[in-house]
Amino acid sequence: MSINLNKLFGAITFLVVLSIILTGCAPAQGIQDEQRSITITIPEDPPSFNAIIGDTGYDALVSNMVLLGLTGIDPDSNIYPELAAELPSQENGGVVVDENAGTMDVTWKIRQDVKWSDGTPVTAEDVVFTWNAIMDPEKGIWVRGSDYVDNVEKIDEHTVVFHYNSLYTGYLTQLGGEQLVVWPAHYCDPEQGFSQWDCGREPLSSGPFVLKEWQVGDHMTFEKNPNYFEAGKPGVDEIVIKIVPEDSVRKEMLLKGDTDLIMWVSETIARELDGQPNISVSVSPTNRWVLRVYMNEAARGTTDPVSSPNPFFADVRVRQAVRQAIDVDTIAESVFYGYSKPAWTEFAREPYKCDVPRPKYDPEAAKALLEEAGWKDTDGDGVRECHGCANAKEGDLLEFELATYPDYGEPILLAHQLIGEQLTKIGMRPKLVVIEGTVMWAEAEDGGTEQSGNYDMDLWDDGYSGVDPTDYLDEIYNSNAAVPGSGWNIVRWISPEMDQLLAEARTLDENKREEVFCQMAQLLDEQAVVPLLFTIINADAYSSRLEGIQSNGNDVVTWNAADWTVK
Amino acid sequence: MIQYIARRLVQILGIMVLLSIVLFALVNIAPGGPLAGQGQSRHIPPERAAALKRQFGLDKPLPVQYVVWLVGNDWMRVDADGDGTADSYGTRRGILRGDFGFSFQTRQPVLDEIRLRLPNTLYLMGITLLVALGIAIPAGIISAVKQYSKIDITITTLAFAGQAVPEFWLGLLLILVFYVWLQNPFTGEPLLPSGGMSSLDTFSLWDRTRHLILPVMCGALGWIAWYSRFLRSSMLDVLHMDYLRTARAKGLPERFILYKHALRNAIIPLVTMFALDLPTIFAGAVFVEILFSWPGMGRLYYQAATQRDYPVLLAVLIIGAGLILLSNLLADILYATIDPRIRYE
Repeated sequence: MSINLNKLFGAITFLVVLSIILTGCAPAQGIQDEQRSITITIPEDPPSFNAIIGDTGYDALVSNMVLLGLTGIDPDSNIYPELAAELPSQENGGVVVDENAGTMDVTWKIRQDVKWSDGTPVTAEDVVFTWNAIMDPEKGIWVRGSDYVDNVEKIDEHTVVFHYNSLYTGYLTQLGGEQLVVWPAHYCDPEQGFSQWDCGREPLSSGPFVLKEWQVGDHMTFEKNPNYFEAGKPGVDEIVIKIVPEDSVRKEMLLKGDTDLIMWVSETIARELDGQPNISVSVSPTNRWVLRVYMNEAARGTTDPVSSPNPFFADVRVRQAVRQAIDVDTIAESVFYGYSKPAWTEFAREPYKCDVPRPKYDPEAAKALLEEAGWKDTDGDGVRECHGCANAKEGDLLEFELATYPDYGEPILLAHQLIGEQLTKIGMRPKLVVIEGTVMWAEAEDGGTEQSGNYDMDLWDDGYSGVDPTDYLDEIYNSNAAVPGSGWNIVRWISPEMDQLLAEARTLDENKREEVFCQMAQLLDEQAVVPLLFTIINADAYSSRLEGIQSNGNDVVTWNAADWTVK
Repeated sequence: MIQYIARRLVQILGIMVLLSIVLFALVNIAPGGPLAGQGQSRHIPPERAAALKRQFGLDKPLPVQYVVWLVGNDWMRVDADGDGTADSYGTRRGILRGDFGFSFQTRQPVLDEIRLRLPNTLYLMGITLLVALGIAIPAGIISAVKQYSKIDITITTLAFAGQAVPEFWLGLLLILVFYVWLQNPFTGEPLLPSGGMSSLDTFSLWDRTRHLILPVMCGALGWIAWYSRFLRSSMLDVLHMDYLRTARAKGLPERFILYKHALRNAIIPLVTMFALDLPTIFAGAVFVEILFSWPGMGRLYYQAATQRDYPVLLAVLIIGAGLILLSNLLADILYATIDPRIRYE
């Protein structure tokens, strides 16, 4: 027992340090360069490859690399064929409308040169199989438009017809777009069901890559699909997806070259990365997400704006005042670092753009509107009280809760505070609260604040993917979507005029649609139903050694993974 | 003793039944639901919500959901296709028959989700605790034996600092220093990896060790502080006992007195503490796993909690609760085994 402890510890420390250094000396990742391998880093595992089920975006990321739908949507909101040989339209005879019956048939021709990674060709059988699996009442899932499809019929090996019992404008993305893909009939087990079949975790591939390995919580490895139909693609041999939960660690890994692409960067991180050598930030030209102010027109805790109008926001003048009091440009610049563009109408993106004049930031006009609405500050404490207002008791304070959700992170939380200050300046007293998204958007019986009407004013971002806003508008503005559990008209805005317009929008006549949408734009603007503020960034950051990366707000960044190359 | 253990096991069973009710109710009653936040689109269409509720079994009243969770529904008819009539038998077997259901998020059996992560957590937490004990025990002894010396003051100060430093802050700091700032002078690469369990293209013991250094450092610091302080005070108690004076008086060598007489008694409470801490080896360390991208139980639990993935959440909670109760029993048994003065009647 005569060992000198100090010397022993010293020796161990020396050995540890030495070995750390020596292992670092081991032949560094030379394999990566030869193999043209790239690494993408995301915060959590995709739940599966079935993006419509998990709807996390990470599932779409891996699904894009492995599975094809009939169509896809590019960053400029153009729909392009994937498995489809061409897009069906009335001109090419792919869409046949029966005016009398009000029904339509959509015929899809499928490419004849696409094979599953086991060599079996992709056929009409797979399309019919996928549709039937989705529609299974027990293990399927409701998808947009599924109520209008009577059945899907196989005509020949490479032709299918979707029989619609009504006109449906979103037919081009019925089995494509952001989340839906075609599954292999000979490989997936219909007994297990669409929502949880094993092939959703170990898929066969029709896309540019094949899943090689998935170590849950750690990484996934994809290899080039040798059977991929586009000659000479993909341009990358291997894609590794690493799971790294912490934002700042992902950013540092990109800076150190330990990853080549980080998906969905926030404004804060985009600004830190922009201008760094060998790093590029790709921003989607189409902005899907728009930050909005939801004002409950029913009294807090109720859902009927007629029998129990909200003391403040049932009055259109108060809603207009709120819209005029928010300094959109300042918030967009100071908190979102100029990545955001002001937005003030749902119809600000292709293909439906309407000319709605931008509301002016004008606190004085906002104050005047409040005065006119009977909200006056007579006791000089800076907060207005009801003096002749429409829906509140005489003397009640203009005091309400302004809530947002924390999950997006710093920029929205700062915007929340700034909006609170700006509303205070016109004599309102908003109490700022932050509520988890899983509480804010929960079902009414789960205590969802919006579904149960248990809120005054909420701030969050929403929007739709793709080119057809019809379903989305119906879910948000139709008066029958105001009933808890029946939709997301959570501001409880009841407008027969809007309902009429929404019904009229269900036509294939593009001119008519444009006209109807612009009438909606007008109405929504006049009524200040849900004031839109500005777009939220949809961006991905990547190493400059990659080429072909383009962030896509209608999908996720891997939408064109087949085209990527490494310098 | 056997009678005692049997009695305790029966008690544990009773407590587990009560706990299962309380936990099930708490998890379900807590505001928020699994259908919100299911998705990047923030809200899901009502038709979809109805289908999901049926698939998740959330369309039943809460007491029925509890029964199904406990004993399954393969013995009763359910309305699986949403046509309003209960026409087929359920497929759930209930936790009592080892079926913890499937994750709402991944649609995978909960036990599979746990099985994929548990070894990683046992590996990290096991080594963390071993390292912590390996440092804390000598530090505690030295601190007590050389009470009020410079080394005692240093250890004490460090221990307080170690307990006070929040794990997430320490973790970020470690990454900043060893990944971002410090470089290997020969290769120019970061000195230590930022996270993960191993590099993808190499498999070696050293690679594994390099990946362990930061998370173990981060996770062990709090334990070291806690155990060393604990051992110091219990050692001090013992050192002032009469029998040690007797031992010295009869001329026994100091080393013998310390290790044979003092430590054996001083360490008894520590063994108990350790046994009580054992369930954390199962639960994992949330911050360490998040910061160092470690695919373990802590992250599984955290994600399940934020997404209201009830089956995963409940499984982790109920298994964790069971382990806590069992490790309490283990602590008591160990206590009696190593301390002959203790007898359970």
